Amino acid sequence: MKLSTRLSTLATLALACLLPLAAHADWAQTGRAARGQTVYFNAWGGSEAANRYLDWAAQQVQARYGVTLKHVKVSDAAEVVKRIQTEVAAGRRSGGSVDLMWVNGENFRNLKNAKLLYGPWAESLPNWSLVDATKPVRQDFSVPTDGFESPWGTAQLTFITNAAITPKPPRSAAQWLAFAQAHPGRVTYPKPPNFYGTTFLKQLLIELGPNKALLQQPVTPPAFASATAPLWSYLDQLHPSLWRQGKSFAANAADMHRMLADGELLLSFTFNPNDAANLIASGQLPPTVQSYGFSGGTIGNVHFLAIPVNANAAAGAQVVANFLLSPQAQLRKADIQVWGDGTVLDVVKLTPDQQAALRQKPPGALTEAVATLAEPHASWVEALEAEWLKRYGAR
Amino acid sequence: MAQTLRRPLSFWLAVLGVALVFAPLLPGLVWGLSPSINSAVWHSLWLDPQVPQALVATLTSGLLGPALACLLAAGAASALYPGPGWLALQRRLPTLLAVPHAAFAIGLLFLIAPSGWLARAIGQFLSWTVPPAWVTVQDPYALALALALALKESWFLLWSVAAVLGEQAVAQQLVCARSLGYSRAQIWRQVLWPQLLPRLGWPLAAVLGYALSVVDMALILGPTTPPTVAVLAWQWLLDPDARLQAQGGAAALGLLILFAGGVALVRGLWLLGQRGRGYPKGQRQPERPPRWPWQLTLTAPGYAVVAVLALWSVAQSWFFPALWPAALTGASWHGADIGPMWTTLWLAATCSTLCLALILLWLEAGPRQANGWLYLPLMVPALPLVAAQYAALLHAQLDASVAGLVWSHALWVLPYTLLTLVGPYRAFDDRLTTTARALGCSAWQACWRVKWPLLLRPLLASWAVGFAVSVAQYLPTLFVGAGRFATVTTEAVSLSAGGNPRVLAVQALLQVLLPLLAFALASSWPRWAARHRLGWR
Amino acid sequence: MLRIEHLNLTLGTTPLLVNVNLCVAAGEVVTLTGASGAGKSTLLNWLIGNLPTAFSASGALWLGPRRCDALPTEARGIGILFQDDLLFAHLSVGQNLAFALPASSTGAARRAVVEQTLAGVGLAGFHERDPATLSGGQRARVSLMRALLAQPQALLLDEPFSKLDATLRAQFRGFVFEQIARQRLPTLLVTHDAADAPPGARVIDLSTWQSGANHA
Repeated sequence: MKLSTRLSTLATLALACLLPLAAHADWAQTGRAARGQTVYFNAWGGSEAANRYLDWAAQQVQARYGVTLKHVKVSDAAEVVKRIQTEVAAGRRSGGSVDLMWVNGENFRNLKNAKLLYGPWAESLPNWSLVDATKPVRQDFSVPTDGFESPWGTAQLTFITNAAITPKPPRSAAQWLAFAQAHPGRVTYPKPPNFYGTTFLKQLLIELGPNKALLQQPVTPPAFASATAPLWSYLDQLHPSLWRQGKSFAANAADMHRMLADGELLLSFTFNPNDAANLIASGQLPPTVQSYGFSGGTIGNVHFLAIPVNANAAAGAQVVANFLLSPQAQLRKADIQVWGDGTVLDVVKLTPDQQAALRQKPPGALTEAVATLAEPHASWVEALEAEWLKRYGAR
Repeated sequence: MAQTLRRPLSFWLAVLGVALVFAPLLPGLVWGLSPSINSAVWHSLWLDPQVPQALVATLTSGLLGPALACLLAAGAASALYPGPGWLALQRRLPTLLAVPHAAFAIGLLFLIAPSGWLARAIGQFLSWTVPPAWVTVQDPYALALALALALKESWFLLWSVAAVLGEQAVAQQLVCARSLGYSRAQIWRQVLWPQLLPRLGWPLAAVLGYALSVVDMALILGPTTPPTVAVLAWQWLLDPDARLQAQGGAAALGLLILFAGGVALVRGLWLLGQRGRGYPKGQRQPERPPRWPWQLTLTAPGYAVVAVLALWSVAQSWFFPALWPAALTGASWHGADIGPMWTTLWLAATCSTLCLALILLWLEAGPRQANGWLYLPLMVPALPLVAAQYAALLHAQLDASVAGLVWSHALWVLPYTLLTLVGPYRAFDDRLTTTARALGCSAWQACWRVKWPLLLRPLLASWAVGFAVSVAQYLPTLFVGAGRFATVTTEAVSLSAGGNPRVLAVQALLQVLLPLLAFALASSWPRWAARHRLGWR
Repeated sequence: MLRIEHLNLTLGTTPLLVNVNLCVAAGEVVTLTGASGAGKSTLLNWLIGNLPTAFSASGALWLGPRRCDALPTEARGIGILFQDDLLFAHLSVGQNLAFALPASSTGAARRAVVEQTLAGVGLAGFHERDPATLSGGQRARVSLMRALLAQPQALLLDEPFSKLDATLRAQFRGFVFEQIARQRLPTLLVTHDAADAPPGARVIDLSTWQSGANHA
């Protein structure tokens, strides 16, 4: 071997050994910068379980890293996006009001396209190595995250029903239609562009559409027309049997839970397979309620944490995100007594005790394994919402 | 001529104080709304399939609601004034006024929804196991929203009517006309309302403006498919797509046009009514005692709403068709965070006190005819104004600061403070200040030592109204506060997104508590201060 | 004829007026004087049917053959003139007067009566005028004519002259008594100023009823 080749190989080897050290040194620097910072975490406040979990996380982060985590409860992530947009448009490119936000889907895509996100930073977190790469942790609605957001938990479209009243709930689109026609006025879905409504539409589209691969590509008018034709004819058949004859829809999933609890509706939606258990525990749903999925699988995705470009405490935000990705935090989050939100970590990389803890199931939680279907490309969402509003948005 | 040009310093100070609240948001408003001044945007607004029915829903709730509120307030005043029933109703008004709009809407939802308390009560007799297929809330023509607006605004209108009726001349005119042989109903119709209604112009306009642009009540009770124009504007303005944002701005401007149209319609009807009055024919109608239980009609819904909220706040599990909760628990109250209450308290107290000072300066030294400008924020949807305020504060580096937050609340507290204070202030007998000055006081000393102490009751009442308005602010606290300040209302809105009725009820009652304290203070302090002075009360 | 029989007025438990007995003939003006707070306004309130709930009264009121004390204000047929003219600000001068006319005259005849009345008080051509543009004396005259046009069977005057200056006072006083005499109305005049009483009329001090003695 020539000396120059040997030297260059040595140099590459040395760099390869030093890089983790360099990364570690970087992270140590971030940790030092984060100490004493206050991180304003803008996250949906509608889940008491999540709020309690974040209270715990705040205590932990304060004790371990000296970072003050403040949960800013918002009712809609779009408000946060609007705030960030207003700030940047007014010239505030640093010292912004949002340090960390709970986001996915459209909101992420809009922020990323408008270059309003800090990063990339997600894959430089130490706990990134524990993440399960088979889950869609690098894709948000088929839009590559490019390290601009860090995965936090999993979500899967799940249905809830009162097993005492509905022992055999519908488990496919066709069964749904038959069920609605057998029980007119007792079934509905949230109105798009609500997150749940749109996801239900996507679920139906995947099942009814002729070519599933097409949905992974960006939408084009001819592809849209051909893929959604069965969907619209299905909905045209479905709507007359829906609650209020499909002339009015529920505003969001929370309203549907309330109507399910009182028996006005027979089915409801959620993204957290353990949500029903939480709701039974808080008395919002009767104890006979069960979660279930479709036999062909339901849409699942990952929800993320992102940092805006003008964040005031970016270092602190990264430290918090890293902590929320740690096994201890993820396990507590997945604990059905606490929140029950699925973990993004690879089970194989955890200790046996931790693996056992993840296997528990409470009453009401999803007991079956439901296959996860991939999300369509994000551009399909807007097209679907616009078309739905055009067809059914007015009576 | 030279006299009118040389205004005293106090005039400019008064104008400056008010201008500081309004002026900084003008650039942001222009910048925010200018994309909407574009024929393409208005064209796409016109073509949007949701707009026609949204317009119908908006017109129904926005015109029917205030009209019904007027009828309720006028009916109650005509039937009860000036007897003991009127005094009893006036005593109950502060409690009813303290209930914020969103909390009232939530309580009404719990009452009249298909799985609400009324349905459960009826279901007891008809053995229902499943909620009936009623369309009582979120109905397509926004009638539930109109009902809620009618009830809530009738209390506000009664409050304004009470202020106007407190004057001696009205009672004597009533006696005079009765001695001419007319019945009370006739006197109200032919003598009193024609004189009093023009003086209620601004409160009526405020009610109309609110009904057209309300978002939080419409989200709870209004239709969803499609929603009212105000909710549509809200959704579009929050959309990241710039095209839809411009459409939202255009919808907000459209609401302003609707408001102007509504005002023109009412004035037109009024003039028509006056023209068509004709020559007094002298026909006397026999006196009929009022058969309608006005007091009950006006107060019962308020008390029912608070009662059902209280019940939900201590309920553990309570499913249809149970009339009472299966078990009671204090866990919801126990889990409620008290921190936001303190934030709300100091924020509302600071804002309403500052605004009261500004309004006193304005009324005493400012221009006499320019009150209309101060009422503008009541007629316009809030979101464009808040975005403009946020932009202004960002430029001044005052966002997320206490001063910025108090300033942004002032935009809505100022008009309501003025609205409640202007009547009693103008009705004050100036001979009292003249007497004080003749005794050697300067103009400001006369105000400070004679006029304002004598006006203590109206001053505190308008302070309490401003306090309640500040407590109910959601958007300014969220945006301008940049999430740093959690008030009772922001907590209520964000927690209610989860749909837990217990949490909703606890938050709604917390929202009621603070204004209630303010109103209690406003009624008890003057009573205590005037305990030895009968003429002061 | 206006007759008050055995009237007792009490405020809570405190007696204000005891055993009032008074008879006022047609066309007669009885003047009531007394210190402030003696109960003049309360008596007038009872007579007009507007007694506040804090007071209680027992006794009879007769207007000719009719007993009135249980009737509401609008059914008694007693007119009242206050200190303030209380013209309705949204109606013109003529409309104010027309308001008081009974429904029996209709159409053009109605207007004719109003015009005639205005001419009779020296306000010819004032039909369309805004009451706020009239002088104090003019308003007082219109106010009196309004009360008289309703064809009352008795008249109460609650210090109607106290807001007028001396010359106007004398003029208006004379005018009022002239109208009363012409229409033969039993009248009760409440005033501080004894000079307000018409010459030769009965002047009664309210204190007579406070001590228990009575006059007929």
